[in-house]
Amino acid sequence: MGGGEKPQLIINGKRLDGRMPDELRPIKIEVGTIRNAVGSSYIEWGNNKIIAAVYGPKEALPKHVQDPERAIIKCRYTMAPFSSLEEHGRSGPNRRSTEISKVTKEVFENVIMLEKYPGAEIDIFVEVLQGDGGTRAAGITAASVALAASGIPMTDMPYGVSFGKVGDQVILDLNKIEDNYSDADMPIAISPRTGDILLLQMDGTLTPEDVDLGMHMVRKAGEYITKLQREALKQSYEKISEKYKK
Amino acid sequence: MQRIVVPGEKLSEKQLRIENTITDANGTYSCILGSFDEQTLSLIPLEGLWQPRNGDTIIGIVEEDRGTTVTVNLNAPYKGLIISKFLESEIKAGDIIVSTIKELEKGGTAILIRPKVLGAGKLMSVTPSKIPRIIGKANTMVKQITDGTGTSVVIGLNGLVWLSGGDVDLATAAILKIEEEAHTSGLTERVKELLDNKKMV
Amino acid sequence: MKIRTVTEDFIKDLLMKGQREDGRQPMSYRNIELKTGVIPNAEGSAQVIMGNTKMLAGVKVGVGEPMPDKPGEGNLITSAELHPMASDQFESGPPSPEAIELGRVIDRGIRAADMINSKSLGIDEEKVWEVFIDIYTLNYDGNLFDAGTLAAAAALYSARMPKYDAENEEVIREGNLGRFKIGGMVTSSTFGKIAGKVILDPDGNEEAFMDARITIANDENYLRAMQKGLGGSFSQKELETLIDASFQKSKDLRKLIISKVE
Repeated sequence: MGGGEKPQLIINGKRLDGRMPDELRPIKIEVGTIRNAVGSSYIEWGNNKIIAAVYGPKEALPKHVQDPERAIIKCRYTMAPFSSLEEHGRSGPNRRSTEISKVTKEVFENVIMLEKYPGAEIDIFVEVLQGDGGTRAAGITAASVALAASGIPMTDMPYGVSFGKVGDQVILDLNKIEDNYSDADMPIAISPRTGDILLLQMDGTLTPEDVDLGMHMVRKAGEYITKLQREALKQSYEKISEKYKK
Repeated sequence: MQRIVVPGEKLSEKQLRIENTITDANGTYSCILGSFDEQTLSLIPLEGLWQPRNGDTIIGIVEEDRGTTVTVNLNAPYKGLIISKFLESEIKAGDIIVSTIKELEKGGTAILIRPKVLGAGKLMSVTPSKIPRIIGKANTMVKQITDGTGTSVVIGLNGLVWLSGGDVDLATAAILKIEEEAHTSGLTERVKELLDNKKMV
Repeated sequence: MKIRTVTEDFIKDLLMKGQREDGRQPMSYRNIELKTGVIPNAEGSAQVIMGNTKMLAGVKVGVGEPMPDKPGEGNLITSAELHPMASDQFESGPPSPEAIELGRVIDRGIRAADMINSKSLGIDEEKVWEVFIDIYTLNYDGNLFDAGTLAAAAALYSARMPKYDAENEEVIREGNLGRFKIGGMVTSSTFGKIAGKVILDPDGNEEAFMDARITIANDENYLRAMQKGLGGSFSQKELETLIDASFQKSKDLRKLIISKVE
């Protein structure tokens, strides 16, 4: 959205897409999108369409990056050049995507049992085919599922979601237009088992009370996102079990 | 009663010692996508990697002859290594071999012995956690496939399966079925059905 | 560290009997699925699934300046990416020679067939439309040339043409929009040669043992682009046969594209 006047983002308590302040966009998760990958998933989160794929563990290369005590993680988050409704983007990593790759990798360093694979590397790819705000959180949610599907042991499956502020209203899960005109944006990733915060970034203007309220929304939404992640993973197996139940 | 569980999912309120789990003050949680049996308290991985042990039979692809050693790709985060002086016959890069792990070295190298080159055939990659099901109790499953197809089947615990001769397509179909349905019961019967039906066509 | 699933001998033995590992005839395609409009943010998009090969093409349209020697003519920029998530044979980093070759061969076919007439892309004296086609490999299992050309052609054919609001200098991308003027509809057929036998639509295992490859792109009437690849060769007689085969095969491919758009 080029410059222009700030649109009114909340009218009569409802957002432009009809959501309530604490409401998520619709989310759909599939497992096994990329056959060559060891684990993969595809997530549709509102208008976001994102693929996550995992390769490895395999021998870490070049050799000097190897850690003799544990596996290393390489993460590559990128946006396809056709992913935006606006201009054609540049393909490949840029400064923004490199930062997102780094913080995404750090999320998974908390939960992957890296000590099981000394000298190895685990590659995580997050590719945004269509972006509409909140892609890093959606990408982390999808990458969690792809990692679990790969069989790599993890102490938990993290989820991501963001909150922000428009005027004096705290809102959950900002889409692109809300993000462009919001007063604050705070993406979060959480380990649902421990409740610990694994990713936190913030940009804009918030009060400590806003953070309390936003984190409350995030955790409530997290219960639902966790449920979707688990269902996506179990579905294919349960379908087969069901078929042969006596 | 078996149920499918995912990483971070609670298995019990108690602190139990089960492979592939983690415990905290609140209970025991799965670390893998697996099938959990509440009676026997066993957790079997549905996906995932092979954890090598001494004595494992593996299938690998010869990568490089380094003079005193030969490296072997095991399709795993571990590399295979054959000490050249133990070689009984010549092998070259690209050869597919079946071999045994003599010992594991620190840092992810498996020392291999008694390599045997496999001839023309088809190499399949399957999920290593499903290999025991493909072998079956006392080799019953693999024998059933060999009898039903005339295909000779060599199984590497690292998730590689070698097929040659006979009806390779039917043998492949049977193995894919076992891989997909490994977590269900009554599988031996259904594989038998598949083999019988196809043979008549 | 890709594990090959089939050995060279196995593939060659089958070919000597006129067979292939997935049961296909030497001159048949794998099952092809085509879906357009998969990325609504893009002006045009299409996903092709050819066996286990999966490719996605997206078309974005922007406003640019004409080349100094071609006033009033728009620009077409086609590139292909071998995404590292598509195979452990692909690496992150700058585009490989293989990715560049793939993008350029697809580009030549579309350009030569005048699939989008560049003269129809002028806006005014200083501005023209720039059409970007990006072809992504999502899962690799051979024959990216044909899957990529098919995805690119279907994405272009189904693309909506934005309008330019000169007063506000804005591109209007949504609402009631028309389509691009389409010239020749180009598709390609790629053949591989293994141990002297020629096959259509080689899969990943077959490509691993291929001596030579040839891609023939044509529209209804003319050959539009060709590329021979790898260290091996084809005889002139083989070339003639394959050109005929490509015209034959392209009928079904064109039909497929049209069926998914209208």
